[in-house]
Amino acid sequence: MELVLLVWRNLTARFTRSLFTWLGIAVATASMVLFLSFGEGLRQALVSEMGNFGPQIRVVAEGTDVFSPPQPELPPEMLDQIKALAPELGIRKIIPSVMLVRGGFDPTSSFIFHGLPEGADPRDFYPPAKAAAGRLDPHPDGAVVGAKKAELSRLTLGKPLRLSREVTVPVVGILEPASGLVDSLIFVPLKTLQQVLGTKNYGVFMILLDPDAKVEEVARKLEAAIPGIDAQSTNEALKFAERSLRIGDLIRFGISLVALVVGGLLVANTVMMSVYERTREFGVMRAIGARRRFIFGLVLSEALFLALAGGLAGVLAGVLGSAAINAYTQEAVGLALSAVTPRLALFSMAVALVLGLVAGLLPARGASRIPVTEALGRV
Amino acid sequence: MLRAENLTKRYRQGSVTVTALEGFSYDFPPGPTAVVGPSGSGKTTLLNLLAGFDLPTEGEVELGGARLDRLGEDERAGVRLEQAGFVFQSWNLLPTLTALENVAFPLLLAGVKANERRERALALLEQVGLAGRAHHRPNQLSGGEQQRVAIARALALEPAVLFADEPTGNLDSAAGHKVLDLLLEHATGERRLVLVTHDLEIAARAERVLHLRDGRLIKIEEPAAV
Repeated sequence: MELVLLVWRNLTARFTRSLFTWLGIAVATASMVLFLSFGEGLRQALVSEMGNFGPQIRVVAEGTDVFSPPQPELPPEMLDQIKALAPELGIRKIIPSVMLVRGGFDPTSSFIFHGLPEGADPRDFYPPAKAAAGRLDPHPDGAVVGAKKAELSRLTLGKPLRLSREVTVPVVGILEPASGLVDSLIFVPLKTLQQVLGTKNYGVFMILLDPDAKVEEVARKLEAAIPGIDAQSTNEALKFAERSLRIGDLIRFGISLVALVVGGLLVANTVMMSVYERTREFGVMRAIGARRRFIFGLVLSEALFLALAGGLAGVLAGVLGSAAINAYTQEAVGLALSAVTPRLALFSMAVALVLGLVAGLLPARGASRIPVTEALGRV
Repeated sequence: MLRAENLTKRYRQGSVTVTALEGFSYDFPPGPTAVVGPSGSGKTTLLNLLAGFDLPTEGEVELGGARLDRLGEDERAGVRLEQAGFVFQSWNLLPTLTALENVAFPLLLAGVKANERRERALALLEQVGLAGRAHHRPNQLSGGEQQRVAIARALALEPAVLFADEPTGNLDSAAGHKVLDLLLEHATGERRLVLVTHDLEIAARAERVLHLRDGRLIKIEEPAAV
């Protein structure tokens, strides 16, 4: 007969109430796990994307952030300036590009076009890219479509793809699935996309470096040599993304805190009711010789046990929920957007336990301080 | 040792001060001592003070060499665990534990190891004739059986003093006699039994009877005279 057994007996003696409290904590924890799993999922997707991304530096107009599609603001002279600096800085290849995003939130009707100059193909962006059908090079007047985009929009070889009222290109290649953003992209010739956008400017210069070039150093030199640009290295992009994700995490944690507070109140209510009902029992324990800290520990353990069991169930439910979300997002955009990482699981368990601790402190203190004579009705 | 010196307890009830016990002095000798008196005579207050459940307004109380009137709540609980056993009128078993676990509970508090706790608790249940009911919960036992479990629990740490507050009050005559026999059986040698009752027939089985009235000790009798 250990303390754990006592705790278990007390909780199962009021089974329905304990069950509902356990469920309350499980739901609160699961909601927190799910909310925060989006941040973790995005982090993982981003790291994976950056790991597969060919160019080491992305040059955009000053003030363009990592997540926004770059506007065609870089004039052709700028390309010449970078080309002139290339031998000195160890730049192996410059890929000027523009992007066009069409459609809304529905993955089937949204299109992300990427303009590729002559001599470049999707492998320059995603080295592992392979053609599942047709060819990899969209030139002179075709489109190479990512696997998920082709599946969702039912694009097959030879099918016309309308970029604007005047410009339509046929699908000349479909990529193999890559479990990344490339699955949702459409590569078209740069000149075609510039014609659609009515510009001769570029949105971005993707820079590939010689193996011995120092990425950050080259980026800083480019920024110093050419005013009005941001040269973003992969690391900087990741750091920026991490900052944005943290803000998102905080907002999501704030929202899930509401559910957590409700869960905490449930535990506090259950334990308080239980203490109230067992006043006499505590009196008997004290009369026999139990010290205050024994009663305190017993009541607090009950709250912690509820929180631990609820937290575990909540994390498990979160893992299942996250898998269900990923099944949907992978189907829709080819990306797993939710992830329950070990650190998220541990964090959620810790939050659930702190919740149990805070909720149990007051009832535990109250139970340990009931005078023996009052508890036994001997006044 | 159980000794009280000029023990007094006063309560505030609104603006009125009520004296529940006044000037009680007695050195309890080994063996059974009954405390009798009508309702409101101060029996329960006396037991509360002798057991350290409550502190006296004035006076001294000594249990097993410890001055309870000078100790804090937790220290008094420690003295109770080592020196005293309790049997209450309404049994007061822990409802979620089995008979065996109830008897083992004081041993748990005293830090006795699990195997030894089990063995000692079973032996005690055997002594009170309830080994066969060891795994029953209190609500599966009769009143008499529950009281016998309570006695086994009170004896678990072989206390120097047994406090019994109306131990037969909720029992029929046969069960009451059985419980009383058990209590008296264990009030031998140096062990003291303080038996609080309003039943003079039960009190007559003690070696001494203390009569309380209006919070005062008015008479001490030998059993033959009761």
